[in-house]
Amino acid sequence: MNAVDRYSCEEVFRRLNDYLDRELSRAEMALVQEHLDTCAQCAGEHAFEASVLRELKAKLRRIDVPQSLIAKIDAILSDPGLRKEE
Amino acid sequence: MLAVPDWTGSLRLLAPLVALALTRPSRAQHPAPTPPPLDDLLTPLLARAYGLALRLLRNRADAEDLVQEAALAACRGFGTFQRGTNFKAWFFRILTNCYYARHRRQRHEGPPVDLHETPELYLYSRTAEIGLHQNAADPAQALLDRLDGEQIATALQGLPEEYRVVSTLYLAEDFSYEEIAGILDIPVGTVRSRLHRGRRILQKLLWRLALERGVVPEAAKEPG
Repeated sequence: MNAVDRYSCEEVFRRLNDYLDRELSRAEMALVQEHLDTCAQCAGEHAFEASVLRELKAKLRRIDVPQSLIAKIDAILSDPGLRKEE
Repeated sequence: MLAVPDWTGSLRLLAPLVALALTRPSRAQHPAPTPPPLDDLLTPLLARAYGLALRLLRNRADAEDLVQEAALAACRGFGTFQRGTNFKAWFFRILTNCYYARHRRQRHEGPPVDLHETPELYLYSRTAEIGLHQNAADPAQALLDRLDGEQIATALQGLPEEYRVVSTLYLAEDFSYEEIAGILDIPVGTVRSRLHRGRRILQKLLWRLALERGVVPEAAKEPG
């Protein structure tokens, strides 16, 4: 890979969110990864943002469904009058 | 003299198989496979649907009502669901439509406009300023470990609606940009820009919350 093919810090910074969300093309993902492997500053920023996302996702997903809701949905699903079109 | 192989014996043996193949209906003639019933499709999504509803409405009773309303609509409209397409995206689209209809009736104002001006890497900069990067191997985790799920949900609730719905679908339900675009019927580019901006604003809201709850020193005052 020559210098022309490499991303600068600014180019990586612009793509950081898409990189974190894995929404870049394979080629772009590889170019960002290649930069992160060699630039401590960008790697530190990436690690921080990745950790924020990981923590937020983990904490926002711990929800139990109340039994009362399960009973209500069961009642809806078992009502033949509501399911004529199925 | 040229020897000609005699195939007639072999053909006689193959005849029943050929006949069977010809009498069997082709793939195109097969009736479509029976689609899974609505119960099988909907029940596994209940936890995620309730989670999304709760994150959007911040009230358990309202969240239950919203999921119930969406389930009713899904039941009535199941005939319009195209078999073989993404049921999860279809159902969450109904759920978000029910939310928007409800929310229009119970509209509340979003946070102050100054949140729109949040710079990139907001938490990174703030945590660096208070020295967390020197004291912790994972400074983001060190900060967010001090906030529980309810507090983080409170910060998420503070996002303006256009960012909150997209961010909740992404953070709480792990939908891709494309799936969110399908659910909300907006372009992928709009999802991307709302998500990225929402993420910046959320970082500022989280920092404010951390200050209010005393999980970072009061001296770490917010610039701007």
